[in-house]
Amino acid sequence: MAASVCRVGSTMGRVLAQTRSPLLLSLRRGQASVSYAQSLLGAPETRLSTLDNGLRVASEETGHATCTVGLWISAGSRYESEKTNGTGFFLEHMAFKGTKKHPQSALEQRVDSLGAHLSAYTSREHTAYYMKTLAKDLPQAVELLSEVVQNCSLSEAEIEQQRGLVLRELEEVESNLQEVCLDLLHATAFQGTALGHSVLGPSNTARNISRQDLVEYIDSHYKAPRMVLAAAGGVSHQELLALARSHFSGVSFEYEGDAVPVLPPCRFTGSEIRMRDDALPLAHVAIAVEGPGAASPDTVPLMVANAIIGSYDLTCGGGKNMSSRLARLAVEENLCHSFQAFHSSYSDTGLLGIYFVTDRNHIDDMMHWSQNAWMNLCTTVTESDVARGKNALKATMVGQLDGTTPICDDIGRHVLNYGRRIPLAEWDARIDAVTPKMVRDVCSKYIYDKCPAVAAVGESSFQLRFLNRWPVKVR
Amino acid sequence: MMTFAGRFGALVPLLRGTTQFIKCAVLSGAKELLPATAPGGIRLAHTDIKIPDFTDYRRPEVTDPNKSSQDSSDARRAFSYLFTGATTVVGVYAAKTVVSQFVSSMSASADVLALSKIEIKLNEIPEGKNMTFKWRGKPLFVRHRTEKEIAAEEAVNLAELRDPQHDKDRVLNPSWVIVLGVCTHLGCVPIANAGDFGGYYCPCHGSHYDASGRIRKGPAPLNLEVPYYEFPDDDTVVVG
Repeated sequence: MAASVCRVGSTMGRVLAQTRSPLLLSLRRGQASVSYAQSLLGAPETRLSTLDNGLRVASEETGHATCTVGLWISAGSRYESEKTNGTGFFLEHMAFKGTKKHPQSALEQRVDSLGAHLSAYTSREHTAYYMKTLAKDLPQAVELLSEVVQNCSLSEAEIEQQRGLVLRELEEVESNLQEVCLDLLHATAFQGTALGHSVLGPSNTARNISRQDLVEYIDSHYKAPRMVLAAAGGVSHQELLALARSHFSGVSFEYEGDAVPVLPPCRFTGSEIRMRDDALPLAHVAIAVEGPGAASPDTVPLMVANAIIGSYDLTCGGGKNMSSRLARLAVEENLCHSFQAFHSSYSDTGLLGIYFVTDRNHIDDMMHWSQNAWMNLCTTVTESDVARGKNALKATMVGQLDGTTPICDDIGRHVLNYGRRIPLAEWDARIDAVTPKMVRDVCSKYIYDKCPAVAAVGESSFQLRFLNRWPVKVR
Repeated sequence: MMTFAGRFGALVPLLRGTTQFIKCAVLSGAKELLPATAPGGIRLAHTDIKIPDFTDYRRPEVTDPNKSSQDSSDARRAFSYLFTGATTVVGVYAAKTVVSQFVSSMSASADVLALSKIEIKLNEIPEGKNMTFKWRGKPLFVRHRTEKEIAAEEAVNLAELRDPQHDKDRVLNPSWVIVLGVCTHLGCVPIANAGDFGGYYCPCHGSHYDASGRIRKGPAPLNLEVPYYEFPDDDTVVVG
């Protein structure tokens, strides 16, 4: 009797799960008070507006007491030429060193008194200046940001001072071999093109850059249609819009000589670069093939594929019971110290690859099994692999948006990449639509019989035989 | 997008990030970090590494850095595979040729093969005469027949013959009979222009052959063997 009741109960559960109706799902009194589907659908909407000069304003009202507001700009090392490479990075250093209205000490004081954090980052295609503060201080934050971006003082004395700092930072980054390896990967994969430039720029730039260069950079790239004012937290969209109108209406939207910069496509070259230094204890190796751009529909299956390969490092407790095959091998054969599958996507191209850190005796094996993992994705990935990958991906996506700053960053980058914020519910639907055949087809399209780019740094008395797997080869 | 990918497996974002906390102190002595001149051998940062320009080595479709390489990748790959395939075929053929040359070197040499044919000058053999040559280790009879002999042989009734063969089936040119001089009984060499039939007589056991080499009397069962021969011109015959 009890057994049949249980069986009926589980059947009901299965039926409810299969119907996937939010209402029915909520009837299941499981552990969560709100079901996953409900939580996605209940997420606050991101509102997007545009000012007259083309500057976009986007915000999500999450109800927090704090907020993050910032300016995301389509400017980065990809827009720089070989001569001007590193300007954006230098400019980022100069950004908080005083504006026309607030000299540096005054600026620092104002930000401090708000208890706020002012940060910035530069990447290959985006630059961001953002501030984390209490929700009630939004007007002041927007004012300060507008000052920083539009009226940076760029004093000569400060420029001289920052030269040393930037050089010091370049020196310091040399010890971060992951950065070095991935920078070299971009440099070789996109050799001869703008995407090959490192964000940091060569040391010559830091030494020889002038105020004029910085001013020219701002004039050519900080244009309203390429900017997004994004905010997340306890902010109201109307208030933000009003603030944007009052502070950012003056941002120029015209280019000198009507020369609107158009990003040409960047050629990918299957190639390799090795920065060999046998004094280093480990080798850092990255192998990547050309991937799709950010807005391509192939990115979702590729994200699932990367979740299937997953990542691993020595601190992982899973040992040989981890679900990723490569991770199991890494543990059993002691193949590497860490690895991860990555996908860097830019507006029209990207790099899909695996990065691993290992010691000299296991480099060839690790390379072999990494490519084996790729071939597995292209040919024999199973239903259970894909289901697991989808779950991992969903968990990561949802878990990343755990504060106003990640959300604001998400908004800024989405609007720049896609023209709108893609809500989690949509991601969820797209991820659910991925099937094993889709993963196989998409992976084959990008990985099978394509030339990879390889970058290796460090201890490398090895041959790095990545020619031994026939379909994945270098021409 | 990059952050998502970046945060897989707790990877620090691939973005080059700098957090500038406003409280950063002004660095003194920053100027000392600037080297006056950097000699060519010292590299200050990995960003100073210049990837060499490989334009000279590139295929024409990928020399333009502002064009995606995906469009031409199929064609380039097809060419590479075709070239490799063709070279492989040629290579295999060459290997096969070399191997078969070495293997066939173990077969009969030229001087041995040369012995397999014999060229005979016919104008040295007068009518009615039989000449013997050594060919392939056996005696070869070349007989220049007279008109009378030819007529006589062609008139023989086949019913009388132990091994019936008409004369014209045994000769290409009726004036020349070319047979192996080995008796078909037990292998002795018959004597020419002997015997009861105007041909050959084997002294070992008394086999009589006629002027066409056919057995007429005696213990031999078959006619004398006729080898393959041809007349490249009127004065020469090549046997073998």
